[in-house]
Amino acid sequence: MTDILTLHHVQKRFGSQQVLQDVDFSIPTGSIFGFVGENGAGKTTTMRLILGLEKIDNGQIEVGDVPVTFGATKTNRITGYLPDVPAFYSYMTPREYLNLCAEITGIPNRAAKITEMLQLVGLPDNKHRIRGFSRGMKQRLGIAQALLNDPQLLICDEPTSALDPAGRNEFLELLASLRGKVTVLFSTHILSDVERISDRVGILHDGRLQACDTLTNLHQQYGQSQIAISFAAPAAAQQCATVLRPTFGDQVTVTETTVTLTYQGDYTAAAQQVLRALVQADLTPTALHKVDPTLEQIFLAVIKK
Amino acid sequence: MKDVWFFFKKELLESWRTYRFMILAVVFLIFALMSPFIAKLTPEIMKMSFGDSLGIKLPKPTSVDSWTQFYKNIAQIGIFVVAIMFGGTMSQELSRGTLINLVTKGLSRWAVVAAKYLCLVVEWVVVVSSAFFVTWGYTVYFFPDSRSPHVVAGFLPLLLFGLFFLAVILFGSTLARNSYGGLLFTILVMAVLYLVNLFKDAQNYNPVSLIGDNMALVQGTKDLAKLAPGMAIAVVATGCLLGGAVAVLNKKKLA
Repeated sequence: MTDILTLHHVQKRFGSQQVLQDVDFSIPTGSIFGFVGENGAGKTTTMRLILGLEKIDNGQIEVGDVPVTFGATKTNRITGYLPDVPAFYSYMTPREYLNLCAEITGIPNRAAKITEMLQLVGLPDNKHRIRGFSRGMKQRLGIAQALLNDPQLLICDEPTSALDPAGRNEFLELLASLRGKVTVLFSTHILSDVERISDRVGILHDGRLQACDTLTNLHQQYGQSQIAISFAAPAAAQQCATVLRPTFGDQVTVTETTVTLTYQGDYTAAAQQVLRALVQADLTPTALHKVDPTLEQIFLAVIKK
Repeated sequence: MKDVWFFFKKELLESWRTYRFMILAVVFLIFALMSPFIAKLTPEIMKMSFGDSLGIKLPKPTSVDSWTQFYKNIAQIGIFVVAIMFGGTMSQELSRGTLINLVTKGLSRWAVVAAKYLCLVVEWVVVVSSAFFVTWGYTVYFFPDSRSPHVVAGFLPLLLFGLFFLAVILFGSTLARNSYGGLLFTILVMAVLYLVNLFKDAQNYNPVSLIGDNMALVQGTKDLAKLAPGMAIAVVATGCLLGGAVAVLNKKKLA
Protein backbone atom coordinates (compact mmCIF):
# COMPACT_ATOMS: atom_id res chain seq x y z
CA MET A 1 0.00 0.00 0.00
CA THR A 2 1.44 3.43 -0.95
CA ASP A 3 1.52 6.33 1.48
CA ILE A 4 -0.60 9.38 0.71
CA LEU A 5 1.01 11.53 3.39
CA THR A 6 4.62 11.53 4.51
CA LEU A 7 6.31 13.80 7.03
CA HIS A 8 10.11 13.81 6.93
CA HIS A 9 11.82 15.05 10.11
CA VAL A 10 9.52 18.05 10.48
CA GLN A 11 10.47 20.77 12.93
CA LYS A 12 8.54 23.87 13.92
CA ARG A 13 9.32 26.61 16.39
CA PHE A 14 7.20 29.55 17.54
CA GLY A 15 9.58 32.12 19.01
CA SER A 16 11.59 30.36 21.68
CA GLN A 17 9.17 27.44 21.92
CA GLN A 18 10.01 24.29 19.97
CA VAL A 19 6.56 23.00 19.04
CA LEU A 20 7.52 20.06 16.83
CA GLN A 21 10.79 18.12 16.93
CA ASP A 22 11.77 15.66 14.25
CA VAL A 23 8.21 14.50 13.52
CA ASP A 24 8.49 11.68 11.01
CA PHE A 25 5.64 9.43 9.95
CA SER A 26 3.54 8.37 7.00
CA ILE A 27 -0.08 7.37 6.45
CA PRO A 28 -0.98 4.56 4.05
CA THR A 29 -3.62 5.39 1.43
CA GLY A 30 -7.15 4.52 2.49
CA SER A 31 -6.45 4.17 6.21
CA ILE A 32 -7.85 6.06 9.18
CA PHE A 33 -5.11 7.62 11.28
CA GLY A 34 -5.86 8.81 14.80
CA PHE A 35 -3.59 11.57 15.99
CA VAL A 36 -3.51 11.64 19.77
CA GLY A 37 -1.93 14.04 22.20
CA GLU A 38 -2.63 16.36 25.11
CA ASN A 39 -3.74 19.94 24.47
CA GLY A 40 -0.77 21.91 23.15
CA ALA A 41 1.11 18.77 22.07
CA GLY A 42 1.41 20.09 18.50
CA LYS A 43 -1.42 18.24 16.72
CA THR A 44 -3.04 21.34 15.21
CA THR A 45 0.35 22.77 14.21
CA THR A 46 1.18 19.51 12.41
CA MET A 47 -2.13 19.67 10.53
CA ARG A 48 -1.63 23.32 9.61
CA LEU A 49 1.83 22.46 8.27
CA ILE A 50 0.31 19.69 6.13
CA LEU A 51 -2.17 22.24 4.75
CA GLY A 52 0.54 24.82 4.04
CA LEU A 53 -0.97 27.24 6.54
CA GLU A 54 2.31 27.41 8.52
CA LYS A 55 5.90 27.53 7.34
CA ILE A 56 8.08 24.48 8.10
CA ASP A 57 11.36 25.34 9.82
CA ASN A 58 13.00 22.07 8.83
CA GLY A 59 12.00 18.87 7.10
CA GLN A 60 9.51 18.16 4.35
CA ILE A 61 5.90 17.10 3.96
CA GLU A 62 4.54 15.31 0.91
CA VAL A 63 0.90 14.74 0.03
CA GLY A 64 0.48 12.28 -2.83
CA ASP A 65 4.25 12.51 -3.47
CA VAL A 66 3.97 16.29 -4.05
CA PRO A 67 5.85 18.52 -1.58
CA VAL A 68 3.71 20.87 0.50
CA THR A 69 4.63 24.54 0.19
CA PHE A 70 3.63 27.40 2.48
CA GLY A 71 0.90 29.72 1.24
CA ALA A 72 -0.98 28.28 -1.69
CA THR A 73 0.06 24.64 -1.88
CA LYS A 74 -1.16 22.60 -4.84
CA THR A 75 -1.62 19.60 -2.58
CA ASN A 76 -4.73 21.22 -1.09
CA ARG A 77 -6.57 20.35 -4.31
CA ILE A 78 -6.68 16.72 -3.12
CA THR A 79 -7.08 17.55 0.56
CA GLY A 80 -10.19 18.28 2.60
CA TYR A 81 -9.91 20.10 5.92
CA LEU A 82 -12.28 20.39 8.82
CA PRO A 83 -10.94 22.87 11.42
CA ASP A 84 -11.74 22.38 15.11
CA VAL A 85 -14.05 25.40 15.05
CA PRO A 86 -15.09 25.87 11.42
CA ALA A 87 -15.85 29.51 10.57
CA PHE A 88 -18.36 30.42 7.88
CA TYR A 89 -20.00 33.52 6.43
CA SER A 90 -23.05 33.79 8.66
CA TYR A 91 -25.10 35.72 6.07
CA MET A 92 -24.98 32.84 3.59
CA THR A 93 -27.17 29.76 3.33
CA PRO A 94 -25.37 26.39 3.43
CA ARG A 95 -25.95 25.97 -0.32
CA GLU A 96 -24.47 29.41 -1.07
CA TYR A 97 -21.42 28.63 1.07
CA LEU A 98 -20.86 25.24 -0.51
CA ASN A 99 -21.30 26.81 -3.94
CA LEU A 100 -18.51 29.30 -3.16
CA CYS A 101 -16.26 26.41 -2.06
CA ALA A 102 -17.19 24.41 -5.15
CA GLU A 103 -16.44 27.34 -7.47
CA ILE A 104 -13.00 27.81 -5.93
CA THR A 105 -12.24 24.10 -6.11
CA GLY A 106 -13.53 23.90 -9.69
CA ILE A 107 -16.07 21.16 -9.11
CA PRO A 108 -18.15 20.29 -12.18
CA ASN A 109 -21.92 19.79 -11.82
CA ARG A 110 -21.94 21.84 -8.64
CA ALA A 111 -25.66 21.88 -7.86
CA ALA A 112 -25.97 18.09 -7.81
CA LYS A 113 -22.80 17.66 -5.76
CA ILE A 114 -23.98 20.20 -3.18
CA THR A 115 -27.37 18.47 -2.89
CA GLU A 116 -25.54 15.16 -2.36
CA MET A 117 -23.32 16.66 0.37
CA LEU A 118 -26.20 18.33 2.21
CA GLN A 119 -28.04 15.01 2.23
CA LEU A 120 -24.92 13.15 3.39
CA VAL A 121 -24.47 15.38 6.45
CA GLY A 122 -28.21 15.73 7.10
CA LEU A 123 -28.54 19.48 6.65
CA PRO A 124 -31.79 20.91 5.24
CA ASP A 125 -31.48 22.55 1.83
CA ASN A 126 -33.48 25.70 2.53
CA LYS A 127 -33.13 29.48 2.82
CA HIS A 128 -32.03 29.45 6.49
CA ARG A 129 -28.78 31.29 6.95
CA ILE A 130 -25.74 29.90 8.79
CA ARG A 131 -26.20 32.67 11.41
CA GLY A 132 -28.89 30.59 13.16
CA PHE A 133 -26.98 27.29 13.13
CA SER A 134 -26.08 25.34 16.28
CA ARG A 135 -22.49 24.16 16.85
CA GLY A 136 -23.45 20.68 15.68
CA MET A 137 -25.01 22.02 12.47
CA LYS A 138 -21.89 24.08 11.77
CA GLN A 139 -19.78 20.96 12.28
CA ARG A 140 -21.96 19.13 9.73
CA LEU A 141 -21.53 21.96 7.26
CA GLY A 142 -17.80 21.79 7.96
CA ILE A 143 -17.79 18.11 7.03
CA ALA A 144 -19.79 18.85 3.86
CA GLN A 145 -17.29 21.48 2.71
CA ALA A 146 -14.35 19.23 3.59
CA LEU A 147 -15.76 16.34 1.52
CA LEU A 148 -17.06 18.51 -1.32
CA ASN A 149 -14.06 18.05 -3.61
CA ASP A 150 -13.93 14.26 -3.04
CA PRO A 151 -10.56 14.62 -1.30
CA GLN A 152 -8.04 11.82 -1.25
CA LEU A 153 -6.89 13.00 2.16
CA LEU A 154 -9.31 14.30 4.80
CA ILE A 155 -7.84 16.17 7.77
CA CYS A 156 -10.10 16.73 10.78
CA ASP A 157 -8.91 18.70 13.79
CA GLU A 158 -10.68 17.51 16.95
CA PRO A 159 -13.90 16.94 15.03
CA THR A 160 -15.90 15.36 17.83
CA SER A 161 -14.95 17.54 20.79
CA ALA A 162 -17.91 19.91 20.35
CA LEU A 163 -20.54 17.32 19.51
CA ASP A 164 -23.14 15.72 21.77
CA PRO A 165 -22.98 11.89 22.14
CA ALA A 166 -25.45 11.29 19.29
CA GLY A 167 -23.64 13.74 16.98
CA ARG A 168 -20.30 12.17 17.92
CA ASN A 169 -21.56 8.71 17.14
CA GLU A 170 -22.92 9.83 13.76
CA PHE A 171 -19.70 11.59 12.90
CA LEU A 172 -17.54 8.60 13.78
CA GLU A 173 -19.78 6.36 11.69
CA LEU A 174 -19.43 8.76 8.79
CA LEU A 175 -15.62 8.71 9.12
CA ALA A 176 -15.60 4.93 9.39
CA SER A 177 -17.72 4.69 6.23
CA LEU A 178 -14.95 6.51 4.33
CA ARG A 179 -12.41 3.74 5.09
CA GLY A 180 -10.75 2.54 1.90
CA LYS A 181 -12.12 5.46 -0.14
CA VAL A 182 -10.58 8.44 1.63
CA THR A 183 -7.51 8.55 3.84
CA VAL A 184 -8.47 10.20 7.12
CA LEU A 185 -6.17 11.96 9.56
CA PHE A 186 -8.05 13.08 12.64
CA SER A 187 -6.77 14.51 15.87
CA THR A 188 -8.47 14.09 19.21
CA HIS A 189 -7.92 13.64 22.89
CA ILE A 190 -10.99 11.40 23.15
CA LEU A 191 -9.13 8.11 23.08
CA SER A 192 -12.23 5.95 22.75
CA ASP A 193 -12.95 7.65 19.39
CA VAL A 194 -9.53 6.65 18.11
CA GLU A 195 -9.90 3.12 19.43
CA ARG A 196 -13.24 2.81 17.70
CA ILE A 197 -12.34 3.70 14.12
CA SER A 198 -8.57 4.08 13.65
CA ASP A 199 -6.32 1.67 11.80
CA ARG A 200 -3.19 3.44 12.92
CA VAL A 201 -2.41 5.74 15.82
CA GLY A 202 0.23 8.41 16.30
CA ILE A 203 0.92 9.66 19.81
CA LEU A 204 2.40 13.14 20.01
CA HIS A 205 3.94 14.31 23.26
CA ASP A 206 6.18 17.30 23.93
CA GLY A 207 6.38 17.98 20.19
CA ARG A 208 7.74 14.53 19.42
CA LEU A 209 5.95 11.59 17.88
CA GLN A 210 6.49 9.08 20.68
CA ALA A 211 4.68 6.19 19.00
CA CYS A 212 3.17 5.50 15.61
CA ASP A 213 1.82 2.11 14.64
CA THR A 214 -1.29 0.00 14.23
CA LEU A 215 -3.43 -0.40 17.32
CA THR A 216 -2.55 -4.12 17.49
CA ASN A 217 1.18 -3.41 17.47
CA LEU A 218 0.80 -0.66 20.06
CA HIS A 219 -1.14 -3.07 22.27
CA GLN A 220 1.65 -5.58 21.98
CA GLN A 221 4.39 -3.05 22.57
CA TYR A 222 2.93 -0.90 25.32
CA GLY A 223 -0.23 -2.65 26.54
CA GLN A 224 -0.19 -4.36 29.93
CA SER A 225 -1.85 -7.78 30.06
CA GLN A 226 -4.04 -8.00 33.14
CA ILE A 227 -6.40 -10.39 34.87
CA ALA A 228 -9.20 -9.12 37.11
CA ILE A 229 -10.56 -11.40 39.87
CA SER A 230 -13.72 -10.36 41.70
CA PHE A 231 -14.89 -11.57 45.12
CA ALA A 232 -18.07 -11.23 47.12
CA ALA A 233 -16.31 -9.50 50.04
CA PRO A 234 -13.28 -7.17 50.44
CA ALA A 235 -11.71 -9.59 52.97
CA ALA A 236 -11.57 -12.34 50.39
CA ALA A 237 -10.00 -9.94 47.88
CA GLN A 238 -7.31 -9.00 50.42
CA GLN A 239 -6.64 -12.70 51.13
CA CYS A 240 -6.35 -13.37 47.40
CA ALA A 241 -3.81 -10.57 47.00
CA THR A 242 -1.76 -12.03 49.86
CA VAL A 243 -1.83 -15.43 48.17
CA LEU A 244 -0.82 -14.09 44.75
CA ARG A 245 1.92 -11.65 45.81
CA PRO A 246 4.68 -14.31 46.29
CA THR A 247 4.18 -15.24 42.60
CA PHE A 248 3.31 -11.90 40.96
CA GLY A 249 4.95 -9.44 43.38
CA ASP A 250 4.05 -5.74 43.08
CA GLN A 251 1.92 -6.39 40.02
CA VAL A 252 -1.04 -7.28 42.27
CA THR A 253 -3.41 -4.45 43.26
CA VAL A 254 -6.63 -4.52 45.26
CA THR A 255 -9.62 -2.19 44.79
CA GLU A 256 -12.55 -3.00 47.10
CA THR A 257 -13.62 -6.50 46.03
CA THR A 258 -11.48 -6.75 42.89
CA VAL A 259 -7.89 -7.94 42.56
CA THR A 260 -6.03 -6.90 39.41
CA LEU A 261 -2.74 -8.47 38.45
CA THR A 262 -0.44 -7.64 35.59
CA TYR A 263 1.31 -10.57 33.98
CA GLN A 264 3.94 -11.14 31.31
CA GLY A 265 3.61 -13.66 28.52
CA ASP A 266 0.77 -16.07 27.79
CA TYR A 267 -2.69 -15.54 29.33
CA THR A 268 -3.44 -19.29 29.76
CA ALA A 269 -0.30 -19.93 31.79
CA ALA A 270 -0.95 -16.90 34.01
CA ALA A 271 -4.61 -17.81 34.51
CA GLN A 272 -3.72 -21.42 35.44
CA GLN A 273 -1.24 -20.14 38.04
CA VAL A 274 -3.91 -17.87 39.52
CA LEU A 275 -6.55 -20.63 39.62
CA ARG A 276 -4.15 -23.09 41.28
CA ALA A 277 -3.29 -20.54 43.95
CA LEU A 278 -6.98 -19.82 44.59
CA VAL A 279 -7.83 -23.55 44.94
CA GLN A 280 -4.94 -24.05 47.35
CA ALA A 281 -6.10 -21.10 49.45
CA ASP A 282 -9.72 -22.28 49.25
CA LEU A 283 -10.87 -18.94 47.76
CA THR A 284 -13.86 -18.80 45.42
CA PRO A 285 -14.04 -15.77 43.11
CA THR A 286 -17.33 -14.48 41.69
CA ALA A 287 -15.62 -13.68 38.38
CA LEU A 288 -12.24 -13.93 36.65
CA HIS A 289 -11.57 -12.32 33.33
CA LYS A 290 -8.85 -11.09 31.02
CA VAL A 291 -8.55 -7.30 30.81
CA ASP A 292 -7.54 -6.06 27.37
CA PRO A 293 -5.21 -3.06 27.38
CA THR A 294 -6.95 0.22 26.55
CA LEU A 295 -5.57 3.05 24.43
CA GLU A 296 -5.62 5.16 27.57
CA GLN A 297 -3.16 2.77 29.24
CA ILE A 298 -1.04 2.73 26.10
CA PHE A 299 -1.11 6.53 25.88
CA LEU A 300 -0.05 6.90 29.52
CA ALA A 301 2.68 4.28 29.08
CA VAL A 302 3.97 6.06 25.96
CA ILE A 303 4.09 9.53 27.45
CA LYS A 304 5.80 8.24 30.62
CA LYS A 305 8.49 6.56 28.48
CA MET B 1 -8.49 35.34 -12.24
CA LYS B 2 -11.50 33.10 -11.73
CA ASP B 3 -10.82 33.15 -8.00
CA VAL B 4 -11.06 36.96 -8.04
CA TRP B 5 -14.48 36.76 -9.66
CA PHE B 6 -15.77 34.10 -7.21
CA PHE B 7 -14.57 36.05 -4.19
CA PHE B 8 -15.78 39.35 -5.65
CA LYS B 9 -19.31 37.89 -5.89
CA LYS B 10 -19.04 36.82 -2.24
CA GLU B 11 -17.93 40.34 -1.29
CA LEU B 12 -20.89 41.90 -3.11
CA LEU B 13 -23.28 39.52 -1.36
CA GLU B 14 -21.67 40.36 1.99
CA SER B 15 -22.05 44.10 1.36
CA TRP B 16 -25.69 43.63 0.52
CA ARG B 17 -26.69 41.18 3.24
CA THR B 18 -24.81 42.95 6.04
CA TYR B 19 -26.43 46.27 4.95
CA ARG B 20 -22.96 47.82 4.51
CA PHE B 21 -23.74 49.06 1.03
CA MET B 22 -27.20 50.27 1.97
CA ILE B 23 -25.96 52.27 4.97
CA LEU B 24 -23.27 53.88 2.84
CA ALA B 25 -25.71 54.63 0.03
CA VAL B 26 -28.19 56.24 2.45
CA VAL B 27 -25.47 58.37 4.10
CA PHE B 28 -24.15 59.59 0.75
CA LEU B 29 -27.67 60.20 -0.54
CA ILE B 30 -28.37 62.34 2.51
CA PHE B 31 -25.21 64.34 1.74
CA ALA B 32 -26.31 64.65 -1.86
CA LEU B 33 -29.73 65.99 -0.94
CA MET B 34 -28.53 68.11 1.96
CA SER B 35 -25.91 70.04 0.00
CA PRO B 36 -28.22 72.02 -2.38
CA PHE B 37 -30.99 72.23 0.24
CA ILE B 38 -28.72 73.69 2.92
CA ALA B 39 -27.27 76.14 0.39
CA LYS B 40 -30.80 77.16 -0.59
CA LEU B 41 -32.18 77.36 2.94
CA THR B 42 -29.23 78.87 4.83
CA PRO B 43 -30.28 82.53 4.23
CA GLU B 44 -33.85 81.69 5.27
CA ILE B 45 -32.65 79.88 8.39
CA MET B 46 -30.40 82.83 9.30
CA LYS B 47 -33.23 85.23 8.76
CA MET B 48 -35.60 83.17 10.90
CA SER B 49 -33.00 82.78 13.65
CA PHE B 50 -31.74 86.35 13.85
CA GLY B 51 -34.50 88.36 12.17
CA ASP B 52 -33.64 92.00 11.58
CA SER B 53 -30.95 91.95 14.30
CA LEU B 54 -28.48 90.31 11.87
CA GLY B 55 -27.52 93.70 10.53
CA ILE B 56 -25.97 92.50 7.26
CA LYS B 57 -27.59 91.57 4.02
CA LEU B 58 -27.00 87.92 3.19
CA PRO B 59 -25.87 87.26 -0.37
CA LYS B 60 -28.14 85.25 -2.59
CA PRO B 61 -27.04 81.56 -2.58
CA THR B 62 -25.51 80.19 -5.78
CA SER B 63 -24.44 76.85 -7.23
CA VAL B 64 -21.00 77.45 -5.67
CA ASP B 65 -22.54 77.25 -2.19
CA SER B 66 -24.23 73.97 -3.09
CA TRP B 67 -21.01 72.37 -4.43
CA THR B 68 -18.96 73.75 -1.53
CA GLN B 69 -21.36 72.04 0.85
CA PHE B 70 -21.13 68.79 -1.14
CA TYR B 71 -17.32 68.59 -1.13
CA LYS B 72 -17.17 69.62 2.54
CA ASN B 73 -19.58 66.84 3.50
CA ILE B 74 -17.75 64.19 1.50
CA ALA B 75 -14.22 65.23 2.51
CA GLN B 76 -14.95 65.89 6.18
CA ILE B 77 -17.51 63.20 7.00
CA GLY B 78 -18.10 60.96 3.99
CA ILE B 79 -14.64 59.43 3.69
CA PHE B 80 -14.54 58.69 7.42
CA VAL B 81 -17.90 56.93 7.18
CA VAL B 82 -16.30 54.87 4.40
CA ALA B 83 -13.31 54.14 6.66
CA ILE B 84 -15.60 53.01 9.48
CA MET B 85 -17.73 50.82 7.21
CA PHE B 86 -14.78 49.18 5.43
CA GLY B 87 -12.16 49.20 8.20
CA GLY B 88 -12.79 45.57 9.13
CA THR B 89 -12.96 44.18 5.62
CA MET B 90 -9.81 42.05 5.96
CA SER B 91 -9.15 42.06 9.72
CA GLN B 92 -12.53 40.45 10.40
CA GLU B 93 -11.82 37.66 7.94
CA LEU B 94 -8.50 37.05 9.67
CA SER B 95 -9.76 37.21 13.25
CA ARG B 96 -12.77 34.98 12.53
CA GLY B 97 -10.78 32.47 10.49
CA THR B 98 -13.25 32.53 7.61
CA LEU B 99 -10.49 32.40 5.00
CA ILE B 100 -9.05 29.09 6.22
CA ASN B 101 -11.59 26.86 4.46
CA LEU B 102 -11.28 28.80 1.22
CA VAL B 103 -7.49 29.08 1.17
CA THR B 104 -7.16 25.36 1.87
CA LYS B 105 -9.40 24.84 -1.16
CA GLY B 106 -6.93 26.66 -3.34
CA LEU B 107 -8.06 30.30 -3.13
CA SER B 108 -4.98 32.49 -3.70
CA ARG B 109 -4.35 35.16 -1.11
CA TRP B 110 -3.67 37.80 -3.77
CA ALA B 111 -7.13 37.05 -5.18
CA VAL B 112 -8.64 37.89 -1.79
CA VAL B 113 -6.95 41.31 -1.80
CA ALA B 114 -7.83 41.95 -5.45
CA ALA B 115 -11.49 40.95 -5.04
CA LYS B 116 -11.91 42.96 -1.87
CA TYR B 117 -10.38 46.06 -3.45
CA LEU B 118 -12.48 45.65 -6.57
CA CYS B 119 -15.64 45.40 -4.48
CA LEU B 120 -14.69 48.46 -2.41
CA VAL B 121 -14.04 50.41 -5.61
CA VAL B 122 -17.37 49.40 -7.13
CA GLU B 123 -19.22 50.43 -3.95
CA TRP B 124 -17.32 53.72 -3.76
CA VAL B 125 -17.88 54.59 -7.41
CA VAL B 126 -21.59 53.76 -7.19
CA VAL B 127 -22.33 55.68 -3.98
CA VAL B 128 -20.17 58.72 -4.67
CA SER B 129 -21.25 58.99 -8.33
CA SER B 130 -24.92 58.65 -7.35
CA ALA B 131 -24.45 61.35 -4.73
CA PHE B 132 -22.69 63.56 -7.29
CA PHE B 133 -25.44 63.22 -9.88
CA VAL B 134 -28.20 63.84 -7.33
CA THR B 135 -26.41 66.97 -6.10
CA TRP B 136 -25.79 68.09 -9.68
CA GLY B 137 -29.47 67.67 -10.57
CA TYR B 138 -30.75 69.60 -7.56
CA THR B 139 -28.05 72.26 -7.93
CA VAL B 140 -29.02 72.89 -11.55
CA TYR B 141 -32.68 72.99 -10.49
CA PHE B 142 -32.23 75.38 -7.54
CA PHE B 143 -29.35 77.47 -8.87
CA PRO B 144 -29.48 77.83 -12.66
CA ASP B 145 -26.38 80.02 -12.79
CA SER B 146 -23.07 79.73 -14.59
CA ARG B 147 -20.80 80.07 -11.56
CA SER B 148 -19.84 76.36 -11.53
CA PRO B 149 -18.83 75.65 -15.11
CA HIS B 150 -16.48 72.65 -14.53
CA VAL B 151 -18.53 70.31 -12.38
CA VAL B 152 -17.01 67.08 -13.74
CA ALA B 153 -13.43 68.37 -13.41
CA GLY B 154 -14.09 68.96 -9.71
CA PHE B 155 -15.49 65.48 -9.23
CA LEU B 156 -12.76 63.43 -10.95
CA PRO B 157 -10.05 64.07 -8.31
CA LEU B 158 -12.52 63.07 -5.58
CA LEU B 159 -13.25 59.83 -7.41
CA LEU B 160 -9.53 59.15 -7.77
CA PHE B 161 -8.81 60.04 -4.15
CA GLY B 162 -11.39 57.41 -3.18
CA LEU B 163 -9.40 54.74 -5.00
CA PHE B 164 -6.27 55.73 -3.06
CA PHE B 165 -8.17 56.01 0.23
CA LEU B 166 -9.70 52.52 -0.20
CA ALA B 167 -6.21 51.08 -0.76
CA VAL B 168 -5.12 52.73 2.52
CA ILE B 169 -8.13 51.20 4.30
CA LEU B 170 -7.48 47.74 2.82
CA PHE B 171 -3.79 47.82 3.69
CA GLY B 172 -4.56 48.99 7.25
CA SER B 173 -7.19 46.31 7.65
CA THR B 174 -4.76 43.61 6.47
CA LEU B 175 -2.10 44.89 8.82
CA ALA B 176 -4.36 45.22 11.87
CA ARG B 177 -5.81 42.61 14.17
CA ASN B 178 -9.25 44.21 14.33
CA SER B 179 -11.44 46.89 12.74
CA TYR B 180 -10.23 49.56 15.16
CA GLY B 181 -6.60 48.94 14.23
CA GLY B 182 -7.41 49.38 10.55
CA LEU B 183 -9.37 52.54 11.27
CA LEU B 184 -6.53 53.95 13.38
CA PHE B 185 -4.05 53.28 10.57
CA THR B 186 -6.29 55.13 8.09
CA ILE B 187 -6.69 58.09 10.44
CA LEU B 188 -2.92 58.24 11.00
CA VAL B 189 -2.25 58.23 7.24
CA MET B 190 -4.77 61.03 6.75
CA ALA B 191 -3.26 63.03 9.62
CA VAL B 192 0.20 62.72 8.05
CA LEU B 193 -1.14 63.77 4.64
CA TYR B 194 -2.86 66.83 6.15
CA LEU B 195 0.38 67.74 7.95
CA VAL B 196 2.33 67.45 4.69
CA ASN B 197 -0.28 69.71 3.10
CA LEU B 198 0.85 72.53 5.42
CA PHE B 199 3.93 72.87 3.19
CA LYS B 200 2.85 74.83 0.16
CA ASP B 201 5.46 73.28 -2.16
CA ALA B 202 4.18 69.81 -1.39
CA GLN B 203 0.50 70.57 -1.91
CA ASN B 204 0.22 69.68 -5.58
CA TYR B 205 2.04 66.38 -4.94
CA ASN B 206 -0.13 65.41 -2.01
CA PRO B 207 -3.03 63.01 -2.69
CA VAL B 208 -5.06 64.92 -0.08
CA SER B 209 -5.13 67.89 -2.48
CA LEU B 210 -7.52 65.78 -4.55
CA ILE B 211 -10.21 66.48 -1.96
CA GLY B 212 -9.05 70.00 -1.11
CA ASP B 213 -9.06 71.88 -4.39
CA ASN B 214 -12.33 70.67 -5.87
CA MET B 215 -14.09 74.05 -5.67
CA ALA B 216 -11.25 75.79 -7.46
CA LEU B 217 -11.59 73.20 -10.22
CA VAL B 218 -15.39 73.54 -10.34
CA GLN B 219 -15.14 77.32 -10.67
CA GLY B 220 -12.32 77.10 -13.18
CA THR B 221 -9.78 79.02 -11.07
CA LYS B 222 -7.45 76.02 -11.04
CA ASP B 223 -6.56 73.69 -13.86
CA LEU B 224 -6.93 69.93 -13.43
CA ALA B 225 -3.44 69.50 -14.89
CA LYS B 226 -2.03 71.23 -11.76
CA LEU B 227 -3.17 68.25 -9.73
CA ALA B 228 -1.50 65.76 -12.06
CA PRO B 229 1.46 65.12 -9.69
CA GLY B 230 -0.95 64.44 -6.79
CA MET B 231 -2.98 62.14 -9.00
CA ALA B 232 0.11 60.27 -10.18
CA ILE B 233 1.32 59.85 -6.61
CA ALA B 234 -2.13 58.62 -5.54
CA VAL B 235 -2.11 56.00 -8.33
CA VAL B 236 1.44 54.83 -7.53
CA ALA B 237 0.68 54.76 -3.80
CA THR B 238 -2.47 52.74 -4.49
CA GLY B 239 -0.40 50.15 -6.36
CA CYS B 240 2.17 50.03 -3.57
CA LEU B 241 -0.50 49.71 -0.87
CA LEU B 242 -2.23 46.85 -2.69
CA GLY B 243 1.11 45.10 -3.28
CA GLY B 244 1.89 45.65 0.40
CA ALA B 245 -1.48 44.20 1.41
CA VAL B 246 -0.77 41.03 -0.62
CA ALA B 247 2.71 40.74 0.92
CA VAL B 248 1.33 41.18 4.45
CA LEU B 249 -1.50 38.70 3.86
CA ASN B 250 0.95 36.15 2.45
CA LYS B 251 2.78 36.17 5.77
CA LYS B 252 -0.30 36.36 7.98
CA LYS B 253 -1.68 33.48 9.99
CA LEU B 254 -5.24 33.00 8.87
CA ALA B 255 -6.45 32.36 12.43
